[in-house]
Amino acid sequence: MAPSSKNSAQTALDLLVLTVLERRGPLHGYGIANAIQELSEEALRVEEGSLYPALHRMEEAGWIAAEWLTTENKRRARMYRLTRNGSQQLLSEHERWKNLTGGVARVLRYA
Amino acid sequence: MSWFSRLLNTIRPERLDDELEAELNDHLARRAEELAAKGLQSEDANYQARLRFGNSTAIRENSRDTRLVSGLETLLQDVRYAFRGMRRSPIFVATALLSLSIAIGANTALYSLIDAAVLRPLPVPHPERLVTLAIPNLEGSGNSLPAGGESQSFSYPFYQTFLKAAGTAAELAVASFPGKSEVRDDSSTARRHRVNHQMLSGNAFQTFGITPAIGRLLSPIDDQHRGAVPFAVLSYDYWQQHYQADPQVIGRTLYFNPEDDSQSQPFEIIGVAQKGFFGTEPGRLVDVWTPVVMYHAKALEQEGWSFFRIVGRLANGVTPQELQQRLQPSFHAFAMATVERNPTMSASVTKQLAAMQIRVHFSPNGSSEFRNQFARPLWIVFGVAAGVLIIACSNIASLLLARSSARSTELAMRVSLGASRRRLLRQVLTENAVLAFLASIGGGMIAYLTTPLLVNALSTNDGPVQFVLGIDMRVLGFCAVITSAATLLFGLLPALQAGRVAPMEVLRKGSGQTAKLRMGRLFVGAQVAFAFSLVVLGAAFLFSLNKLVSVKPGFDAKSVAVLELTNESFSKPQQHALVQQLQARFAQLPGVDAVSAACWSIFGGSFWGEQVFFPEGRKSEREELFYGVTPRYFQTLKTPLIAGRDFSATESSSDTWVSTIVNEAFVKKYFPGENALGKVFDHSSNDKRIHHRIVGISADTHYSDLHTPATPLVYVPFDGDMRFTMYVRSHLSAGSLGRLADTETRELGHGLRVTNIIQLQTLVGESILKEKLLAGVGGVFALLGLGLAAIGLFGLLNYSVTRRTKEIGIRGALGASGGQITLLVLRELVVLLGGGLSAGVVLACFLSILVKPLFFGVAPIDVSVFLTAMGLFFATAIIAASIPAVHAASVDPLIALRQE
Repeated sequence: MAPSSKNSAQTALDLLVLTVLERRGPLHGYGIANAIQELSEEALRVEEGSLYPALHRMEEAGWIAAEWLTTENKRRARMYRLTRNGSQQLLSEHERWKNLTGGVARVLRYA
Repeated sequence: MSWFSRLLNTIRPERLDDELEAELNDHLARRAEELAAKGLQSEDANYQARLRFGNSTAIRENSRDTRLVSGLETLLQDVRYAFRGMRRSPIFVATALLSLSIAIGANTALYSLIDAAVLRPLPVPHPERLVTLAIPNLEGSGNSLPAGGESQSFSYPFYQTFLKAAGTAAELAVASFPGKSEVRDDSSTARRHRVNHQMLSGNAFQTFGITPAIGRLLSPIDDQHRGAVPFAVLSYDYWQQHYQADPQVIGRTLYFNPEDDSQSQPFEIIGVAQKGFFGTEPGRLVDVWTPVVMYHAKALEQEGWSFFRIVGRLANGVTPQELQQRLQPSFHAFAMATVERNPTMSASVTKQLAAMQIRVHFSPNGSSEFRNQFARPLWIVFGVAAGVLIIACSNIASLLLARSSARSTELAMRVSLGASRRRLLRQVLTENAVLAFLASIGGGMIAYLTTPLLVNALSTNDGPVQFVLGIDMRVLGFCAVITSAATLLFGLLPALQAGRVAPMEVLRKGSGQTAKLRMGRLFVGAQVAFAFSLVVLGAAFLFSLNKLVSVKPGFDAKSVAVLELTNESFSKPQQHALVQQLQARFAQLPGVDAVSAACWSIFGGSFWGEQVFFPEGRKSEREELFYGVTPRYFQTLKTPLIAGRDFSATESSSDTWVSTIVNEAFVKKYFPGENALGKVFDHSSNDKRIHHRIVGISADTHYSDLHTPATPLVYVPFDGDMRFTMYVRSHLSAGSLGRLADTETRELGHGLRVTNIIQLQTLVGESILKEKLLAGVGGVFALLGLGLAAIGLFGLLNYSVTRRTKEIGIRGALGASGGQITLLVLRELVVLLGGGLSAGVVLACFLSILVKPLFFGVAPIDVSVFLTAMGLFFATAIIAASIPAVHAASVDPLIALRQE
């Protein structure tokens, strides 16, 4: 999937996932979903399932990597972590996001 | 994730599916646990977890697509589906695979032969700048070369002049026509064996750009040491096979047979040419090269001895025309010198020589006698094979149509369930591609097995035809191209038809079939048209062969063996005595009916032409054929002597008056209405007149082929030579004759030895090899086409009868008799045949005119050929139609009407 064709909701979700993984280290999908809800104080609550296609897409793009690991209570889970590509992507997405929100904020303030 | 893992996921999607399932289930389980920990009942917790998760199937599909190559996965799905479908209709698949395999195999086999013989450039650097010199054939010079053709034979003095004239415009080299030689090396276990031998000028390897695999090659400097460079270069293949790639071969000695090209001195092996180089002549793979300057001196000095091809490489930027202009002045000088040397030359020949232009041809693929002889018939047979492929494809197309009507319910169901038409089209095309792919494997195997047989069938006594065959990229590429062409040809229309399926109509049963039937008729019509023209061609070739075989050659070839002999005596009287003694000894052998010797065998490709002068100053316009034979020749070959007598043992060609026997054609031409016995004429030899007196007149015989009518022929007494031929009429097998001959020749000594035994019938048979190829392959392909067309007709009629069962039932119920119903089917057959046949007749006329030079005794549009083909076709069609017709006639109205 070409980055240019992404809509802003996708961009936002990507940015959130990358940020969470950067701050908290490797996490499984459930953990990421919980973290996003927690941090956004339930404001960004969407269908939890829609997180997974996004995760797999980012994995395909090489921003994050996944492997099956045994977690607490000897359960196996697919753990995601940030790759070096992902860190760079995070920086640029962050920049884009700031530009976008800055622009929107200016419009809201002066329109 | 890498491409590799995506590919893995594509091929084995189950693993990916499991993994996705596990990940999503893990999430659901964790959420449910958390909710349960908050106090929800486990059932509610599960429900809530699912609710918050959303549409898990959609999510899974979405994720799945990102993690595998989705186009490829669909393809694999289609391929699996195609295989399942094929297992369901084994008879259809077997018919389609078999016919398509044979068609692809035939095309590939012929292509690989044509590629090797005609198309493929020589394996040398920059073959596109190679050229060959040629001169047009003289008309009426007696050497039986076809008028309008050209010759590539030049003498060595010609070459030397051209070499100077060409200057820097081109490198010119000389190469002999590859021939058989017997060689033996100096090792203790050595035995004589036959090799393909070619003589080259020293610069030839350099001209072609060939490097040595080991040792060194002939070098340009060699040409300046006439008779003093006894070097031999081996081909890579010969080195591998005969010397097991032993590098110690360098420095070994090679002995040629003394009578072979007089190269009696030992030759030192100096090197092996680079891998893949086989000389300049596709069809003959050379084993050993020697320097041309080691050939006997006379051959290098006589301007009349045209034993060599002149090949060359143009310098950068030089065109063949520029080289031609450089060479033309010296060529003209040569031609005029020839005219001056031969004051007896006829005016028409003199005029031709004065105006003659040397020709320079591009020859990136070398020069080949095989190609000259067989290129045209091979292209025709290739065209016929293409016709079979077209028939096979339209056959499969009509079978597919019939099958797709059986599948229309399935396809309609899938459309109603939301399958896109593109997807359906793709799936049907995939099924066809799978079919074609399997057929191409079968076809490739057929080609691999049959090509060597084909090459074998075209080999003659003169030496086996050899090619670098093998499955290479060019042949595989061709196979792939025709396979995809076939897929489109037979698959596209039925696939489009399938994509256009209208679910409402199909599910309501009925209509929509008419269009399909119409298309089926189109395909069957095409099959009929092509098959008919193939049958016409096949019949014409068979008729030609039959006409040729029934040509009376003027002699009885049956149970006559032709022995080729050599000896090492150099004096004429001794040679004469040897021939006479051998003939006498053979005549005594048990089981031998008659024996005679001759300078060479008829139907063997050797000629001796002389202009003939009559006392009153009359002379022949063209050179007439001369042939030297010993007494009892006419008895041995059972050619009747019409008047006069046979030669006697004491007569010789060196008598003051040479006793001569001429054939009827000669008498008819030069002594019409007269008694030719006792008449005299001359021929000239080295400025001397040789006088002939006619002592006998023989019946006409064919001398070198069955195609041209018997020509005038002059028999003179044969006095022996270093090589000669014995005709033995006997009841002995070749094996026992060979053993007897070995004993007799050994006892006579002087190195007398049999080099080859062959039946005269075989030699005559080889002169019609081209026609045998055309009739054999053409006939087989015609039958194949006919069979396929019959299957097509049967399939369509059968389908139409099945479709009309209800109608037939009603007709039966209303009182139509079985015969009337049979007529109904036959009427449909006539309609089907009518259109196809009229197209077929036009196509057949067109093709016949195109290939008419290869017919013999058959008019380009021959009524008997067309009628035979028509009759054969109708007979086949009636057989094909009879089963559906009988089936229709036996439809029970009660059962037919109770259906549904």
